[in-house]
Amino acid sequence: MTTQESAQEPTNPGGAAARLLPWRLSGPWIRDQLIRHSMVVVMLLIIAYFSYRSARFGTLDNLQTIAIAAAPFALIALGQTLVILTGGIDLSVGSVIALSAMTAAYTVKDHPERLWLSLVVAMLVGLAAGAVNGFLVSKVNVPPFIATLGMLTTASGLAYVVGQGAPINGLPQNFGEIANNQIFGLQIPVVVMIVGIVALALIMKRTSYGMRVYAVGGNPVAAQIAGVKTTRILFSVYALSGLLAGLSGVMLASRVISGPPNLGEGYELDAIAAVVIGGASLLGGRGSILGTALGLFLIQTLNNGLDILVVPAYWQSVIKGALIVAAVTVDVWSAKRRG
Amino acid sequence: MEDVALECRDLDKAFGGVPVLKGVSLALEAGSVTALAGENGAGKSTLMKIASGQVKPDGGRVLIGGEPLPHGDPQAAHRNGVAIIPQELAPIMDMTVYENLFIGRELRTRTGLLDRRGMARRARELLDVFGVEIDPQATMRRLPVGLRQLVEIVKSTSGGARILLLDEPSSAISEREVERLYAVIGRLREQGVAMLYTTHKMEEIRALADRVVVLRDGGLVLDRPIGDITDDEIVHAMIGRELQGFFPDLHAPGDEIALQVSGLHVSGYPRPVDLTVRRGEILGLAGLVGAGRTELLEAIFGVRRSTAGTVTVAGRPVRRNAPAAAITGGMALVPEDRKGAGAVLTMNVLDNGSLPRLSRFTVAGWLRQRSRGRQVGAAMESVKLRSRGLSQQVGTLSGGNQQKVVLARWLTGSVNVLLLDEPTRGVDVGARSEIYRIITELAASGMAVVMASSDMPEILSLAHRALVMRGGAVAGELAREDLSSPHVQDLIFRYAAGLNPDSAPAPRHTEKEGR
Repeated sequence: MTTQESAQEPTNPGGAAARLLPWRLSGPWIRDQLIRHSMVVVMLLIIAYFSYRSARFGTLDNLQTIAIAAAPFALIALGQTLVILTGGIDLSVGSVIALSAMTAAYTVKDHPERLWLSLVVAMLVGLAAGAVNGFLVSKVNVPPFIATLGMLTTASGLAYVVGQGAPINGLPQNFGEIANNQIFGLQIPVVVMIVGIVALALIMKRTSYGMRVYAVGGNPVAAQIAGVKTTRILFSVYALSGLLAGLSGVMLASRVISGPPNLGEGYELDAIAAVVIGGASLLGGRGSILGTALGLFLIQTLNNGLDILVVPAYWQSVIKGALIVAAVTVDVWSAKRRG
Repeated sequence: MEDVALECRDLDKAFGGVPVLKGVSLALEAGSVTALAGENGAGKSTLMKIASGQVKPDGGRVLIGGEPLPHGDPQAAHRNGVAIIPQELAPIMDMTVYENLFIGRELRTRTGLLDRRGMARRARELLDVFGVEIDPQATMRRLPVGLRQLVEIVKSTSGGARILLLDEPSSAISEREVERLYAVIGRLREQGVAMLYTTHKMEEIRALADRVVVLRDGGLVLDRPIGDITDDEIVHAMIGRELQGFFPDLHAPGDEIALQVSGLHVSGYPRPVDLTVRRGEILGLAGLVGAGRTELLEAIFGVRRSTAGTVTVAGRPVRRNAPAAAITGGMALVPEDRKGAGAVLTMNVLDNGSLPRLSRFTVAGWLRQRSRGRQVGAAMESVKLRSRGLSQQVGTLSGGNQQKVVLARWLTGSVNVLLLDEPTRGVDVGARSEIYRIITELAASGMAVVMASSDMPEILSLAHRALVMRGGAVAGELAREDLSSPHVQDLIFRYAAGLNPDSAPAPRHTEKEGR
């Protein structure tokens, strides 16, 4: 089929854009667009429903609430996107959040002047955990699922070790500045999230690094023959995922001005869900940062809307789970339609 | 003909408009072995797949014991006693031999539980019939490939198969294992099983077959009892093809040496390889499947490990085992397995086209979109790629056009040495002659080309010089004059198969074996 199709059309790079433009708002065209952007449609339907049910949902205030809740997830979902693009998975980010939060709290306790040091320490701890994952996956060839599952358990245990089995409380008040101060009227984590999404979206689309990540996930052998140092790329995505988890951890700890050792528990699953809802393939090579951002906001909007409608937490889980599967089913189905 | 077990009548089949079988008829007798010979792409595998019901023919029919077999129904073929042993075996690796033998028809005890002891005992009996020493309790993974194959054969025949189709059964196994395979086939012949055996090795045809059938370009060109035919006649039937007009004219190569490989020890092969290629020269690598051609190309490029030796490109040594260094040194590899190793099918033409030379298209890591669009566009233009533009996903292109992308992506920079592995495998005839034109043009522009190919006409008509490989080493070398001599195909075949080349009626050749 493609042979004949492509045989009729000459090489014409400039003409591609022109051909993509709709020349008629016909029924098939609209249907095609609906299928192509099914996730956006689902998102709009959810927003419409909540706006109809609650006057509070559509306010700017509530939007900020959603953004604040989304920020810590956003960072780990961004790292997770890169990992999943290479065909791997990082299960350890939730525990790495806990470990980095605890080390940050430990550093800053009784030492208000170490505020910035605690931030750096948390990120280094995250980076170190990610580097161990990356080393195991890229050099030792441990399957990513196993390597990061091990890190999940280890980091979680270490978080309790740092707090000697208890939360670290009584932190200096200035520790809260990291999460609660504002820049341009936005809380710092929200700014970090926006910067992170924009920066990584650009990196993945516009740099050679981004292209190499896609190539390693799409076909590691072909990437290697094209001169891509595949082990280095693999190592880097896990290290980055760890670093972002560390940053996320210190922001979460700062928000509550304490170090609970069970912080971030289960967050990895929400992050993975966001990536998958965003259209990424767990086999690697397919997915995008903007898709992940969309998936993340779909989950967070749903959380927020269901909270506003005072739906009990257990029903929220049921609805969320069903919606994740439904969203991905629609995506798989529409991908098949597109061929 | 008495007792015909399986008969094919006037089978036609085309894939995507390209005919692969043209009116093929043949009959398999019970208790006999028919050798199915022919070059790669002659239609052997397709014929077997039609006979076993995996592929539906466009025309013609398959009869079993005189009864027509429903088309494209592997279950029906299986019920009628047809079994196929594919080249790529698919046993369940982590189960035991007896479990593999009985999967799908497990023996049960009276209480309905698995009768493991019974199955193991029965497995032992089945294997003993063939005189094979295999422990039924061993896991498949622990067995060598040859024994796994025997287990598969025992499995099909013990399941009631009367017609056995073996697709190049000896291609992946050692010589010792081949003897055991011969013994098993002999035993099956005594039991009255009809066998069709694909091979292109002359010694196997001689050792096993009662009858020889040769396919060439989808047509049946020879069908005779083994006693009535000479080796030369078989070889001639396999490769005698019209060559005029398909290949472009060759330009004379330069004098300057572009690639020098000395004492390169490819990991897994006992003997080192030396070769030199001049600028503008096309060096063909001939040999049978498994002769080590792919491995040599990969080792020169650095994606396969080599343990000793030097690779020099245009006078400068290139670090071994480092593809990135090979690319900087001016080497390019177009691998055999296009989908598995060549292109990233999920990415578009532009991204695939910029992948090998990313650093040329970036400033501090950022892609220069316009310049890479222009350069990749020009490279794709130079090979006349047919696509809907640079943003089309490579996975949606035709085979020939995918191959053009894999080739053209190197042309955005200067290439001194182009390594091609089976450049036209799976490519339709039209795109084929275009790829030949591209290769000769690239050589004429001063590139040194090393081309591994199983397609005899490709080697004969496209190469300035050819090396015949066997067991990872160079078994013979043929100069341009030799390549156009009438006996060259026979000579290449003899080098590749390890036969004595002196018995061939060839006037000249350069003996390189055993160094």
